Amino acid sequence: MGKKRLTMRRKESIYGYIFVMPWIIGFLAFTAGPLVFSFMASFTNYNITSQMDFVGVDNYQGLFTEDSLFWTSLWNTLYFVAFSVPLTTIGAILLSALLNQDIPGIRFFRTLYYLPAVLSGVGVYLLWMQLLDPGTGMVNLILSWFNIDGPSWLFDPDWTKPSLILMKMWSVGGSMLLYLASMQGVSKSLYEAAEIDGANTWKQFRHITIPMITPVIFFDVVTSLIGGFQIFQEAYVMSSNGEGGPANSLLFYNLYMWRQAFENFNMGYAMAMSWILFVIVFVLTLINLKLAPRWVHYEGEEK
Amino acid sequence: MAKTTDDASYVEKKDGLKTLSGTNKNPGYFEHRGNRKNMLKLINFILLAAGSLLILSPLWWMISTSLKTMAEVMSFPPTFFPESWNWSNYIRTWEAAPFTRYTINTLTITTLVVIGNVISNSFIAYGFAKIPFRGKNVLFAIVLATMMIPGFVTLIPQYVLFAKLNWVNTYFPLVVPAFFGSAFNIFLLRQFYMTIPNELIEAAKMEGANHFYIWWKIGLPLTKPAIATVAIFSFNGAWNDFLGPLLYLNDENLYTLQIGLQVFKGQMSTQWNYLMAGSLLVLLPVILLFFFFQKYFIQGINLQSGGK
Amino acid sequence: MKKKRLLLTGLMGSALALSGCAGFQTSNNDESTVNEDGKVVIDFWTFWGSEIRRPVIEQIIADFNESQDEIEVKHTYLPFGDIWTKELASIAAGDPPDVVINDINTTALRGQEKQAMNLSEFLEEDDISERFYPELWNATLHEGDSYGIPFNTDTRVLFYNKDAFEDAGLDPEKPPATWAELEEYAAKLDVKNGDDYERIGFYPRWGIDFDVWMLNAGGQNYFDENNNVQIDTASNLETLEWLKTWQTKYGDDVINAFKAQIDSQQGNPFFNGSLAMYAITPTFYTQIRDYAEELNFGVAPLPERESGSGNTSWGGGFVAEIPEGAANPEASYEFIKYLTDVDAQEYWAVQNFDNVANIEAAENAAASDEFTEDGSMVYQMAVDNMEHTLLTPVPVIAPDFTSYINPNVEEFFLGSMTAEEALAKSQADVENLVDNNSQ
Repeated sequence: MGKKRLTMRRKESIYGYIFVMPWIIGFLAFTAGPLVFSFMASFTNYNITSQMDFVGVDNYQGLFTEDSLFWTSLWNTLYFVAFSVPLTTIGAILLSALLNQDIPGIRFFRTLYYLPAVLSGVGVYLLWMQLLDPGTGMVNLILSWFNIDGPSWLFDPDWTKPSLILMKMWSVGGSMLLYLASMQGVSKSLYEAAEIDGANTWKQFRHITIPMITPVIFFDVVTSLIGGFQIFQEAYVMSSNGEGGPANSLLFYNLYMWRQAFENFNMGYAMAMSWILFVIVFVLTLINLKLAPRWVHYEGEEK
Repeated sequence: MAKTTDDASYVEKKDGLKTLSGTNKNPGYFEHRGNRKNMLKLINFILLAAGSLLILSPLWWMISTSLKTMAEVMSFPPTFFPESWNWSNYIRTWEAAPFTRYTINTLTITTLVVIGNVISNSFIAYGFAKIPFRGKNVLFAIVLATMMIPGFVTLIPQYVLFAKLNWVNTYFPLVVPAFFGSAFNIFLLRQFYMTIPNELIEAAKMEGANHFYIWWKIGLPLTKPAIATVAIFSFNGAWNDFLGPLLYLNDENLYTLQIGLQVFKGQMSTQWNYLMAGSLLVLLPVILLFFFFQKYFIQGINLQSGGK
Repeated sequence: MKKKRLLLTGLMGSALALSGCAGFQTSNNDESTVNEDGKVVIDFWTFWGSEIRRPVIEQIIADFNESQDEIEVKHTYLPFGDIWTKELASIAAGDPPDVVINDINTTALRGQEKQAMNLSEFLEEDDISERFYPELWNATLHEGDSYGIPFNTDTRVLFYNKDAFEDAGLDPEKPPATWAELEEYAAKLDVKNGDDYERIGFYPRWGIDFDVWMLNAGGQNYFDENNNVQIDTASNLETLEWLKTWQTKYGDDVINAFKAQIDSQQGNPFFNGSLAMYAITPTFYTQIRDYAEELNFGVAPLPERESGSGNTSWGGGFVAEIPEGAANPEASYEFIKYLTDVDAQEYWAVQNFDNVANIEAAENAAASDEFTEDGSMVYQMAVDNMEHTLLTPVPVIAPDFTSYINPNVEEFFLGSMTAEEALAKSQADVENLVDNNSQ
């Protein structure tokens, strides 16, 4: 009996390896090499084209002790992540709840709200720069209807990051899609049972919908955390000269890293930066994974 | 043979649900069920309609700019409606660069990337979600970790690698990696597979089904909405990818739409009307695809009712 | 369902077939550096893809290909900015293009990093440095050797509305010559209606910014020849304070509203007369020509801080470089010589209304009868202004020094730092940067 179990388990393992094999092959072939290279080069003065001498931990030491812009960029990025991740997550869940209903024109609405997520790239950022213009932009025009004197948005260091968060909120349609897909998996019979018990819509949402979509909420939080730390192009396009201004308020981590790598050609230094970021994000993700069993509810799990 | 019975019973459940939920889909949206419920639907509708104005106004700016003459684009204050509707802008845009060729190129790359992503990721994710094996957690941590390293620092070594493979100026670097899974999609699909009850898989195994069969016959159908999501995300990603094609393609005959659009953005000035017209044309297939792909969300299948 | 799948497969198949599968053919790594006629093939990368510029550069290439039978130049367009990321990757992979257009202010840096090839070997044989404005030529040098050949350039001048001048009782043939006159004229040109301005005389931070005015005031860059940092200077302090008086005068609301119009290119207020003077590159003329044909305007050098301090202006430009590791540097250099010679440069200048690096070509272009009267006037001004124009090549020791100055100055304009503090901090930060980098 025991022996049979063992072979069963071994057989399962073999299946497991077969299933994940494509990823292992792809990883070894395309990703592992560059990753190892970038790790090694973070201990050198690698400049891409002509030098790569071992410098020990100089890059790391320099970052922590001598580089004020490193700390500025880290702070800006943390600020952005701390606000944008919860706000976009909540926004996307609420939106998908509205879009998961049987009302006229729902297909049209879904397409419409997804649109901003499709529109990507520089064009959108340029568009938002016009919308956020303090004098002539649409955002402040709308605020003025409610007698609100809008801020200077991208010109005021206190408002630049909120500007980007606002723009992110506009395009929550991407994660909305995830939640919508996940809500399709929630059984209608659960709602019907709840209705018989007299639970109102909010209670149903709170006690049925939310628990059932926690696996996707978890996914969304983890990936937008990872993505949030890598914010780059928004700041590159929307700050003056792509420098992260005004007053360094949009100097995000990756923007600073980009500048070190491709403008100053301090690639070794940039690689050291990337590994520091990696450690930060990895630790946060581990915390997330540890906390997950407390609130993420997998229907498939044995209880 | 027992497998087929299992399969059939599952289909039955699915149909049963359809009829169940069918009661919700009665005509006369706002009158049938209780008043309270209809009120909520009305509020829902009004919220969505109001929100769509916020979503639409930036889009309208794109559309109206795309129809203006350059002189009107440059006039101040900006006009809300174009003075004259210059549909010919779209023709001129299309002719400003070999866009027909670019469309075919982009379509080729995108199709292959979508196929690769859907097949590889759903396969790999099943392994991570539903099969216990030694080292799984470590491997999965590495999968997640690959997302956390900023692409800039691997860009150069990766380019050198593809150059050594002699793949520069071909579509291989853009397409081949898609067939080996990507962290984001593996993670996403894993989350969906995790919600499939283990009893269902155990039952199938009892009937003698192996994991390939279970993946194909149970895993795939049950995660259709998620796969549709992966397909849409991959399409969107490949369609809008700019840096990849830019780095790896040298021959202008191989260029994609996103590179083509750049011709309207000069170093000094931007031809806004053509840029917007071009952006909208490039956007159109994605919108259409999404509009028609939606039914895969609506058709979502749930097992929780039956499985428990 | 089956049918659909069939359709999909069919569609896909035809798409693949149509794309000629060219995207899936790997070529020989030796790369066809020689074509079937036995000519050496030169891969030339530019960011000139617009309807206006592309035909001009391709005509120049076609002319070159016609002119001899040993070299065949092949042009590839790549988007501005990204072109250099790609170039860098290709240099790292050892298979770069043969000639690339790149920014003149960072040429020396690329020389030091061994991205651009040292051209002194070619120049010894065939010195063409005399063709160009000395300021441009010097910017290409690193430790005495040149790493790129200047192609085009620009400068900053003052455009002014002659009708507005007359309207305000000023002599339209006598533009402001000093900062004091600039202020005086602007005050006369302002037309205020309640809190709003119907016409603004001048605002110094539209079109150019504080760095150009500092250059204009002091006539010197942030670094001297020995890489000593000279940011915290009396002249820079005066400049910042002077700029602040303009900001106070018009107020942030007015400034932001006008700036929006200028930035978005949606109707520059200079076009309709609501801005009377505007400092910008001479190529701004092409926008006037296209969008405000009737405008009665003049151009002048930037005013001087005080009589005799000099009308120093700022410029940049682009060079043709041969990336390190390129296969046929001799042939590449042949082509670059043609590209920067009088004929090609004059053609470029006239067709694009662009400042070129070749002095003779620039002067020919100014006299060209292809320009209108206004065009010739502006072009002549651009050419004349070159003698006051300084470039700001980045010091190889601290290529990113501006990121240690701009944030402080921005804080000053926002009111959270005094001018003294901003300059002192910039001076200290940049000195610190230089120290760290020279370790």
